[in-house]
Formats: sequence, structure tokens, C-alpha cells
Amino acid sequence: MEASRRTFLGTCLVAMAAVISAASAYPIWRYLAPRKINPADVKVGIPVKEVLEGEAKFFDYAGSPAVIVHKRGGGLEVFSAVCTHLGCIIQWEKEKQDFLCPCHGGRFSADGTVTGGPPPKPLNKLPFTVADGTITIG
Amino acid sequence: MTLINRLIDWIDVRIGIREITRKELTGYLLPRNINSWYSLGSVLLVIFAIQVVSGILLLIYYVPDSGKAFKSVTDIMNVVPFGWLIRLCHAVGSNMMVLALLLHMLSVLFMGSYKSPRELNWMTGFILFVMVLGISLTGYLLPWSQLSFWATTVATNSANAIPVIGPSLVEFLRGGTLVGPPTLGRFFALHVGVIPAGIVILIAAHLFLLKRTGISTPPFGLNEANKPWQGESYRYEDHPGGIPFIPDYALEDLRSIFIYLACFLAVVFFDPSLFFPKEAFIPANAFITPAHIKPEWYFLANYQTLKIFPNEFIGLTVQGVAMTLLAVLPFIDRGRERHPLKRPLFMACSIGGILLWIGLTVWGHYS
Repeated sequence: MEASRRTFLGTCLVAMAAVISAASAYPIWRYLAPRKINPADVKVGIPVKEVLEGEAKFFDYAGSPAVIVHKRGGGLEVFSAVCTHLGCIIQWEKEKQDFLCPCHGGRFSADGTVTGGPPPKPLNKLPFTVADGTITIG
Repeated sequence: MTLINRLIDWIDVRIGIREITRKELTGYLLPRNINSWYSLGSVLLVIFAIQVVSGILLLIYYVPDSGKAFKSVTDIMNVVPFGWLIRLCHAVGSNMMVLALLLHMLSVLFMGSYKSPRELNWMTGFILFVMVLGISLTGYLLPWSQLSFWATTVATNSANAIPVIGPSLVEFLRGGTLVGPPTLGRFFALHVGVIPAGIVILIAAHLFLLKRTGISTPPFGLNEANKPWQGESYRYEDHPGGIPFIPDYALEDLRSIFIYLACFLAVVFFDPSLFFPKEAFIPANAFITPAHIKPEWYFLANYQTLKIFPNEFIGLTVQGVAMTLLAVLPFIDRGRERHPLKRPLFMACSIGGILLWIGLTVWGHYS
């Protein structure tokens, strides 16, 4: 009888400690957790005239680097500037009209497809529209 | 359970953990007439731990730059998930820490636990009290609100009354002639680095002294079997036949801690603006002084004392003398009697002092 009473009280104590720990840990977890940005909620506007033909413009999109490229001969493309290999940030090489990832020599064409090096897949394309001289990404 | 027991066995054969538990916890005997006031030390340790954890969490988003501090605190309150809870716990906790510390000191005073051979315990505790006031004062500036800015201006300005070195001391404290960005840098370093390190060292010293001298027997309801210490040689005050710290007194500690947490969380959730006047929500402006700026409640008596004396130096001296007398009390009050009702002079002085402090605080609040 004594042992079961002790076991019962011990179990209550452990349960209470667990509830208090969880109640304390949850706000701390939420406080520390990175704030999530839903890309669908983010819109970035860039004037078309800021991106000259044959050049690229890097910008921040939903907390991550992105790039607009104005291809020679016309046509715009917008990508995430994060290399699909190990997450380094790609660079635009104007002379070669392609992207180079300086970490491990990955190469992407102006269309975002892999042309050399270790990247396993093309650059992630971002949705955009062009209206009234402004490129709206997102 | 078997796995836990085997793990404990594994540790025990290496470092003798069961022996430490027997000696320091289950075999650590306390006086049979020990009362709840003795658990305030444990309550204070919990409060300090909460302050450290919430302070570290605040450091993640707080920016100690005069141009960004106020916005960073506003963002913590309004944007960061549960930031309001962490910040309120820290701000309310600092006030509660001063209150609990005052109660702890009063219990030690009335039960005569500061008396020989516990002079060092009292003095380390007193320095801890001063450091807690210091950490509260320095932390008050960090939100960089009108309240922080002008309360710090008033608080640091009082050192001007010290003859000869006063003005230089004020300039040194502020890092300039007026409170400004250099003050924030200094106070931030003191608040998050220097003073907490000092508090940790002093808590360690305070607990070490407590362990070496042994817990004092409350002066109520039990005749002291031990002969009083005569100062001839070191003696640990043990309590044969007393109650074990674990589980008996640990549960009493736990009860006091939960009572404290209930009061603390009641303020956090039901009266969160108790310690925040409206100036706390306005960013600091060095060109606009708000009317009737007041320090925190625990500095109101000091504030009012400075106001009632015609000369600030006299006000400061009176406070300095009072604090010094309190610090060296065990060397002044050398009688062996510890029961408060058998110490009429002590009772008259201490109750008079408490009423004076309360009176000055209320006067300071409404002045």
C-alpha cells in the first residue's frame, strides 16, 4: 500500500515536471525558431531599365539571394541565386553569359540549366511578371 | 528502472555519487524547527536562474546601439513570437528579485542569523544585495526609452554631490558629460558581463560559507542543545536528529518556489504594465525631459532622501552611513540573543527603519 502510494505520488511529480517543462520549452522554442517567410506573400518590384541586356541583377527575395538575368537578344529569367550543389551563391559571368559557382566550379547557362561541374539540378526558377516597366517577382 | 540503476551504479563506482548524495542531500540534516523563511535562498536561486535564461534569450534580439535599442525591444515585445513573455519575465523578475532579496534579508535580521559566526555570510549577502541593485540600475537603461534615459540621468547625477571627485565620477560613469550612446555601451557591458559574473562568484562564496558554518537554528520553539560558539576554533553547526534536506526540506523549498512562481506569473499575465509607466513606451529623447520622472520603487526612498535634505551631499552621506551600518551590523550587534522579542532595542530600530523606508518610498512615489 505504502509502495503504491509512493509510486503514485512519484508519477504525479514526474507528470507535473513534464507539463511544466513542456509549458516552459514551447515559448522558448517558438522564440528561437527562425521566422518563416511564405514566398507567396513576398513581392519584389524591380524597374526593367535597371537590368541591362547581357547583365544580371542580384537582389534579396524572401530572405534569400535571387538574380534576374536579361539575356542577350532579349528575354528575362529570374532564379534563386543559391547553387543547387551545396548552397553557395552563384556569380554572373558577363563575358561567358553564364553563372559560375565559385565553391566547386559548377556552371549554369543563362537559362539556369547545368552546363558543368557537380550541381545535380538546374537553378530554381522564380515566378515573375512584367508590367508598366516593372518586373514583379513573386 | 534497471537501466537507470545500472547507469547510476556505473557512475557510482567511478566517482562515489551515492556517498555524495548521502552526505550532502539525504544525510544533510537541518534543524527540526526550521521554517519557510529559510527557503527564500532557494527561491532567490530560482529567480536568478530565470533572469539568466531570459537575459540570454533577450540578447538574441536586443541591439545595444542607441539608434536601434528601443526598436529592438519593441520588436521583441510585438514581433518575435513569445518575445513579450521573455521580456516581461526578465523585467518583472528583476523587481521580484529585489523584493525576495529584501524579504530574505529581513528574515535573517529578525532571526538573528547574521550573528557570529556568520558575519561573512551576512556581508557576502549584503554585497549581493548591492550588486542586484546595480544590475537592476544598469538594466533599466537598456530599452533606451524616455523612462530609461531620464531615470539613469537622475540616478547617475546624484553622484555629483560627492565632494571633489563627484563630477569626474559622474562623467566616468556616463562615458561623457551627459547620458548618451557611450553610457549605453558601458551599462550594457556591466549588465550582461561584469555584474552577473560578480553575482555568480558571490553566490558561490555565500553557499560555501553556508556549508562551512552550517545552517543556523531558528530562535523559535526549540532549545539549542549545542553550546554557543565561543570563537575558540572552527566548528560546524550540525543538527543531529534533524530533518533531512532531501526529501523533507526540498519539498518545503519547492512549495515556496511554486508560491513565488504563482505571484510572479500573476503579475506577468494579469498586470504586465505594473512596472512600466507610460514613459517606458516612448523612445529616448535627449532634448525632452518628461515631467516627474521617478526611479524604480526600490530606489524611491533614496530619491526622496536626496530631495528632503537641503544639501545633496548630506542626503548622500546619510544614505552611505545607513548602508554601512547595515553592512557591518554583525560587528555592531554582538549580543548572543537571537529571539526578536528578546531584543527590544533591535526590534525598535529595525521596525523604525522599515517604517521609515516605507514612508520615504510612499512619499517619493507621490511627491
